[in-house]
Amino acid sequence: MTDTIPFSQEISNLLHASEGEPLKNCIQCGTCSGTCPVAGYMDNSPRQIIALINLGKKDQVLESNTFWYCASCYHCSVRCPQEIDITELMYALKRYSIWKNRYQEGLIGPTFSEAFVKMIIRGGRSFEPILATSYIFSFNTREFLQEIQGATELLLKGRLPILPARIKRLENFRRMIGRIIPMGGLE
Amino acid sequence: MKEFAYFPGCSLEKIASSYHISAVETTKKLGILLKELDDWNCCGATTYFYIDELLAYTLCARNLAIAEKTGLDVVAPCSACYKNMFFTAAHLKKDADLADHVNFALEEDNLHFKGTVNVKHLIEVFAEDIGPDELKRKVTKPLEGMRVAPYYGCQIIRPQKDKEDVEQPQFFEELLTAIGATPVNYPLKVRCCGGSLILSSRTAALTMVRNLLQSAVDAQASVIATACPLCQVNLEVYQQQVNQEFGTNFSVPVMYFTQLIGLALEIPHKKLGIGKEFVAMAPHLLPVEHVWGLPRKAT
Amino acid sequence: MTKRLLMIDDDPDFVSGIKAILDTGGFEVDVAYNPKDGLAALQTKQYDLLLLDIMMGRGAEGIMIARKLRKDARLRELPVLILTGMREQIAFLFPGEPIHPRFVEIDELVEKPVEPKLLLEKVNSLIAAAETKKAGRK
Repeated sequence: MTDTIPFSQEISNLLHASEGEPLKNCIQCGTCSGTCPVAGYMDNSPRQIIALINLGKKDQVLESNTFWYCASCYHCSVRCPQEIDITELMYALKRYSIWKNRYQEGLIGPTFSEAFVKMIIRGGRSFEPILATSYIFSFNTREFLQEIQGATELLLKGRLPILPARIKRLENFRRMIGRIIPMGGLE
Repeated sequence: MKEFAYFPGCSLEKIASSYHISAVETTKKLGILLKELDDWNCCGATTYFYIDELLAYTLCARNLAIAEKTGLDVVAPCSACYKNMFFTAAHLKKDADLADHVNFALEEDNLHFKGTVNVKHLIEVFAEDIGPDELKRKVTKPLEGMRVAPYYGCQIIRPQKDKEDVEQPQFFEELLTAIGATPVNYPLKVRCCGGSLILSSRTAALTMVRNLLQSAVDAQASVIATACPLCQVNLEVYQQQVNQEFGTNFSVPVMYFTQLIGLALEIPHKKLGIGKEFVAMAPHLLPVEHVWGLPRKAT
Repeated sequence: MTKRLLMIDDDPDFVSGIKAILDTGGFEVDVAYNPKDGLAALQTKQYDLLLLDIMMGRGAEGIMIARKLRKDARLRELPVLILTGMREQIAFLFPGEPIHPRFVEIDELVEKPVEPKLLLEKVNSLIAAAETKKAGRK
């Protein structure tokens, strides 16, 4: 047990049942970045984000949009020759960023995730119209109108719910969540 | 009659209700009963993991424990629900401490995860429990001449579960062949549709959708078949936005694989939820060859 | 005799601050930066008190550790002081609401940031209380 730990270890510690430092196995081959369908939109490609973590560039990592642009398609994970679960790393970085409440300004991802989880904790099921409020106001006018047009058509085709669905045993459900996350006005 | 505990998931309640109804009807016709889980809750999509994985596992485990009470294996038609429940079951079976903690929470709803349940995607029920041969025997109206792009998407095949082929899977093609359709080979069949990025990183996702549509159209597919509600919505509902954004002219129907199977089994359209599409298939009364003629090519 | 403490916390910056305070207070402090190493340390070494974070690793793993301790014959009596910033970390989920790990026996909960004086007082009084309890049973 040393006095402190490098950033790469701090991030590895977030991974599921982590053993050692998987990120140190990265050989910077770039298979992940070549595979990633969103890499072109990221500030730093997946390969770069691993390099930055291994170099201890904490601020640069937290300010990057990379993990918020990950669509969880797992294509990088199944192809990594070093068997690094890069998608899981992206989840871990999102978690790290949310817990620290530090992320690049203007991203919809964090607000959207928070709204989603909040909604499930309240009702047990997803309800698209509530969710929409977490992203639609970040859209520009044209995007906004396109989204409204799409939603109207969905509604007319009977594909949008009017009322939120809720599970029946909601009280039990909320107490169950309270045993995992010990917060909220329970008991 | 073989039975499964059926976890429809939130999307199938409304936005993908045609997937729900066609899933129930086609399996019934093929001798399988899908019994909806009592009081199921949201699987968490991809977002719980950002906040707390233990919470993510607990929410999935609640559904798994409800299923275990019935003694049946769980079937999920949505790829994200499937992936979440499959890997929750796998993690809990491996990690006793995690299972103990999750079970402590489940006590609040008088539930317990024992680890006896298996999780399947709906398409696996067709590919494995029914099988292409049996399906072929039941087909009364083969979809001859229909060129279909089988769209696997991501989370049915990834992450890898065992040693299965994650780069060039064939089970979707085999099902399409069994119903008399012609599966087209196109390079992007296992690429991502963008998932929830369509909301959070719109330009990136619309580009991904455009690339997929183009790839299917280039292979002269006249319809895309999906096995996931999110893929369906991205590829179909956002097709208009892709056209507006990129000046393309896509008009490709995106159907659930259960709808196509249902057509081959001559289940009435209404029972397959056909009619709620943004991009409709051509009128069904025409001979199949004429119905699914070559698509308009994107400009 | 010098008292030995174990701190399980994933935040290296927070840990170095707290460790400095406890060093000054004359304690010997071991640190584990993830739940797994923390549990391993508890199994192999003898401690007088555990300082435990809640949100780390995959989620609220601190609660999982506390529950595991209370079921362990040897570790059941170990005093546990929770130091958590969870109200900040997931503030959006339960805005303004309290933390309530009442279903697991912990001895004290202090929210981050922690006052040095208060920290030393809590640590000393928890260790003293545990020793009195132990002596009373003998």
